[in-house]
Amino acid sequence: MGWPGLEAGGDALSSRSSLVLVAVGVAAFVVAFSSGAREANAYPQFQFSSGTQRCAQCHYAPAGFGLLTSWGRDEGADTISRGGDGAFLHGLWTPPAWLALGGDFRAAAIRNEAGSSGPPEVAVFPMQADGYARVGFGDSGISVYVAGGFRGTTRPGTGSDSMAAHLESVISREHYVMWKPSATGAYVRAGRFYAPYGLRVAEHIYYIRSVTGFNLYEETYNVSGGYLAEDWELHVTGFTPPPNSLPLPLRSTATGSGAAAYGERRFNSMAALALQARVSLNKDQTLIQGGAVGKLWLDRPRILFMGELDLQRRSTTGGNGSNQMVGYLGPTFFPVKGVMASLGLERYQEDLRISSTAHTAVDLQVNYFLWAHCEIILLGRYQMNGTGLADGPADSLGMLQLHYYL
Amino acid sequence: MSFLVGSAGVFLCFSAALSGCGSTADSRPEKWSYISPVIIQPSCATANCHSQLAERSGVVLDTVADGYQQLLSRHFVIPQNPDSSALVGLLRGAGNLRMPPDFPLPEADIQLIERWITNGAAWDGPGSKPAGTP
Repeated sequence: MGWPGLEAGGDALSSRSSLVLVAVGVAAFVVAFSSGAREANAYPQFQFSSGTQRCAQCHYAPAGFGLLTSWGRDEGADTISRGGDGAFLHGLWTPPAWLALGGDFRAAAIRNEAGSSGPPEVAVFPMQADGYARVGFGDSGISVYVAGGFRGTTRPGTGSDSMAAHLESVISREHYVMWKPSATGAYVRAGRFYAPYGLRVAEHIYYIRSVTGFNLYEETYNVSGGYLAEDWELHVTGFTPPPNSLPLPLRSTATGSGAAAYGERRFNSMAALALQARVSLNKDQTLIQGGAVGKLWLDRPRILFMGELDLQRRSTTGGNGSNQMVGYLGPTFFPVKGVMASLGLERYQEDLRISSTAHTAVDLQVNYFLWAHCEIILLGRYQMNGTGLADGPADSLGMLQLHYYL
Repeated sequence: MSFLVGSAGVFLCFSAALSGCGSTADSRPEKWSYISPVIIQPSCATANCHSQLAERSGVVLDTVADGYQQLLSRHFVIPQNPDSSALVGLLRGAGNLRMPPDFPLPEADIQLIERWITNGAAWDGPGSKPAGTP
């Protein structure tokens, strides 16, 4: 069995023609949007669809992720969920203006069939438990942000039920100092976080996160700066991984040092085009990446199209390397308040010279925001290798996820 | 209208690019210095698996040297004998679990690793051969 069209197209398309197609596509995007541009006033799916232009309107972080602002909490309740109070502790207690608190808690159940000779894997596990605190220092624009929690464990190892194993899973995924004096304008941030790059989807298993340097717990230590305007934003980051000599809660799975840049232009409060580049080096390889991100919101059918395409060059110390492609494309439909349904097509090709090294995935995800703070997520994912089963087994994953944010 | 036409063009080009490219002939080098960073590290040295952070089953694969040392010294790889190498069985899902459990490797990658083992599983990484390896 194969992905429709792959068998015929796999051999015919060379890597060069693929690059040309991408270039033409990006050019068409630029032409189309520049001709219709005008002044325009984290789930990336909420950009435009919730009436919000910038990630930083709902999140304290300049490019989204983590603790919600008071605006974001109101949006979470009034616009996104079917009801309730989005404030901290559901409004039972309001922290002072200089303090913001929050947390994310997720539990999940999966059924995964990866083509082994054994039965499908079934697991129920704690997925995320993170608390957040942000302290702002008056009108200076300076703030300190700290996140702390436990790493989730899909597949418990030997002895993982012991208290020592749980303590070993303590992690602070983010902690940083930031100068950001206003909602728009310049900012500087230093500490640990993900460098702004890509669509920044919540699902770390998507190829645009898992093989681009933004997999789970792959946060780096960064110095980052940028500028947020009404219809554009720019983020530039220098990064390095935490050394393995640091205590376990401060370590990550990142191994490369380098720099990343992400620039986004928004059009007519309904579309965005971003260009991005990243270089990462470690003692084994150099990874050079470049790509584009696009979004298009269609108001009447209530559909948001999102896409990301990255081309990567991995150069190894042995003088070899591979040119790679990573992509995501798909619509997200908002049929009624509180429901978001996404269909995604993903592609990761390890080496553009070899068609059988491709990974293709189709994802169907439904998010149900039944009440402020509460979310149920259903995910179905089907992955294929190369051009069909002859190139490797398929993997089917079903996941139920319960999410509560404080 | 140009907006919609342009958008449609983008998505068509995007889809065509995603639909696959390359040939069927595998000319990649059968070398650990290539296999580790291009195949093993992105697939196996992840958050809850064989990274320095998680060390699942005590196996760390997130550098060329560490991966070679672990696979050879713990006999996951038997040089010149891919059929007896546990690594190949794990990648093919011969037991209850296929590795990586949620990211099965293409057969072309497994065959490349087999060829490296058949050719002696030589060390060609930077620096000297890791201690404790045959």
